[in-house]
Amino acid sequence: MARKEKADVVIVGAGASGSVYAAVLAKTGKKVVVLEQGPDWKLTDLISSDFWGRRIKTAGAPFLLEGKNPYGYSYQSGWGVGGAALHYFANFPRLLENDFKIKSEHNRALDWPIAYRDVAPFYDKVASDVGVSGSAKAEEIWRPRGRPYPMPPMKTFRNGDVWLKGCESAGIRMVPAAVGMNSIPYKGRPACIYDGWCHVGCPIGALANPLVTYLADAKKAGATVRARSTVTRVLTNAKGDKVIGVEYYDAKGEQQVLEAKAVVLAAWSAQNPRLMLNSSTDKHPKGLANASGLLGKYMMAHFASGTWALFDDDVQNHMGTTGAQYMSYDRYGKTSHKGTFGSTYIVAGTALKTSDLGGFANARPDLFGADLQAFMKRAARGLTRLTAFGEEMPNIENRVELASDKDEFGMPLGKIVHSFDQDAVALWNANFEEGLAVAKATGAKEVWSGRGNMPTIHLMGGTIMGTAGDNSVVNSYGQTHEISNLHVAGPGIFPTSGASNPTFTIFALSLRGAEQLAAKWNTVAG
Amino acid sequence: MTSIERRAFVKGATLGALAFTVGGAEVLLTPGEARAQAVPLRALTAEQAQTLEALGETLVPGARQAGITNFVDLQISIPPEQALLEARIVNIRPPYANFYRAALGAVDKASQALNSGRGFAQLDAAGQRDFVDAMRQNKVQGWQGPAGPFVYFILRSDAVDVVYGTMDGYKALGIPYMPHIPPVQRW
Repeated sequence: MARKEKADVVIVGAGASGSVYAAVLAKTGKKVVVLEQGPDWKLTDLISSDFWGRRIKTAGAPFLLEGKNPYGYSYQSGWGVGGAALHYFANFPRLLENDFKIKSEHNRALDWPIAYRDVAPFYDKVASDVGVSGSAKAEEIWRPRGRPYPMPPMKTFRNGDVWLKGCESAGIRMVPAAVGMNSIPYKGRPACIYDGWCHVGCPIGALANPLVTYLADAKKAGATVRARSTVTRVLTNAKGDKVIGVEYYDAKGEQQVLEAKAVVLAAWSAQNPRLMLNSSTDKHPKGLANASGLLGKYMMAHFASGTWALFDDDVQNHMGTTGAQYMSYDRYGKTSHKGTFGSTYIVAGTALKTSDLGGFANARPDLFGADLQAFMKRAARGLTRLTAFGEEMPNIENRVELASDKDEFGMPLGKIVHSFDQDAVALWNANFEEGLAVAKATGAKEVWSGRGNMPTIHLMGGTIMGTAGDNSVVNSYGQTHEISNLHVAGPGIFPTSGASNPTFTIFALSLRGAEQLAAKWNTVAG
Repeated sequence: MTSIERRAFVKGATLGALAFTVGGAEVLLTPGEARAQAVPLRALTAEQAQTLEALGETLVPGARQAGITNFVDLQISIPPEQALLEARIVNIRPPYANFYRAALGAVDKASQALNSGRGFAQLDAAGQRDFVDAMRQNKVQGWQGPAGPFVYFILRSDAVDVVYGTMDGYKALGIPYMPHIPPVQRW
């Protein structure tokens, strides 16, 4: 028998976006309960190993994958408290002004209902809250002036520096990468020690994961974080105009009901629409807040064109961070590459490990046996990579929907259907071509493109924001058009994806949405 | 606090290890140690283990001695949530044993069809290399099972893991491992 419990707000998901909402609302005195389906990770669980690091990747109900370019969700998603932000690379680029008005400027894709200037103050606030290292002044060649970052840029190493000459020859200006890491001690957290294990979790707290930033703030302000709690439905009142809580299964596998005055879905781009589709009622027959029919639609991914360079000498490739040392927006214009459409964001300088998807061995996936053995010895000191991330335009056919198979709680599995269109493929190819030209100009002994299956990186869309209920699921604050006390948070609310890593924008939009919910609490949820 | 001191501060706060069952008791071993001690397999048959070991050694020299078979056997016999396999992060749907059984079965079946009844482990080194090269390129005639290039990718990843992904593997390549929190048993 489900027992009923009451909270002011229930947040589904303890990752980047959920932690921001939890912190903001708990600080206003609200009773906040965060429900997270995975385990309750501590910093001491974050073992420096590619093997052990796989434990913080998804282990919940699988998503079924269809389309020409099936989405790589199991590498990208999180599992447990901290979510994907427990293993993210903490690259903190932001979207630029041109990302917000593609429809207006190019008559393609979608416009955001807000502009860069609406988000910019929240980028600055987040940078101060969690700590960002970089040079705002250097990157202001591409964007309006904002507050300086609270910390100077990170150290660089030869594996990043060797790319500068090649980039310069191609007219690509590289500046210090903005990262959510400590170049110096910040707010009681230590400085980074550059050992390159960011991607399996940073246990010293030098990297701004939720456990040491917003989630810690939330707990300090009284929020409860409940691990091993799997939400299966969002509950609504009889009229269908308010949510009244959620139904979930607790750590013992027992069904519970948690009543709340507001619900925030922060369970990632694919899981949020799955939950909303599974919460249909007679008032919302197609799923919650889905009168537009757009719930689950416009899923987007980034793709990367990686270029490898192998030097005879030591490029210190064991040193640095998993993210980037240098970045450039010089190919960020939507028509930067002839015959293609979409932005490109370029990064260089990353610490490399031997195994896992991004390790040495997969730089030459064709090699095996003695040839691989010889390559590994050369790569151990001389290998480095340049990466160009590309933007996929929103396509209504890329979607999340419910499958007929069910999970252990009887909830239909989600299915992600995803294919890149010809524009994305053309941009991917153009970035390989330019990457190779840059690499040749570095003076490396050998250079090659890291081609394989076209990768799907990050996941955005599915609950996009817009101006009204006929063109979107939520407004610019993440509030659903149809149910005022139901918010959606995370990259799912992006109507276009840009080409830069999304988490800084996720934090910023979540902060904007959470502050709005707190400010309008009495009218929305009171 | 210096870098070294910070590492020391968190050292030892490890969780989990590879717990092999020996004589009814769970002991912490590396897969290579488990192989050397002939720890009984839990999920793979003797034939599957033989095929996996031969494939692993062909893909990455040293994988046999590093215990690829004991590693995979253990990982596919524990709850998927605890598994440390690369299969976990490339969208293979649990239980992972299903994939490995299908993959190893496909390799042996194709090898037998092409080599007068000899399984992969019975081929000579050159024959094994040729077979793997064809599998990598999806050119094995009569192949039935998970896509050959994907089988190549996954088994190669496992072999890379046990040979190069460990602290000993880094040491052999001359790369400083530099852990915040070191894995138990140099693993």
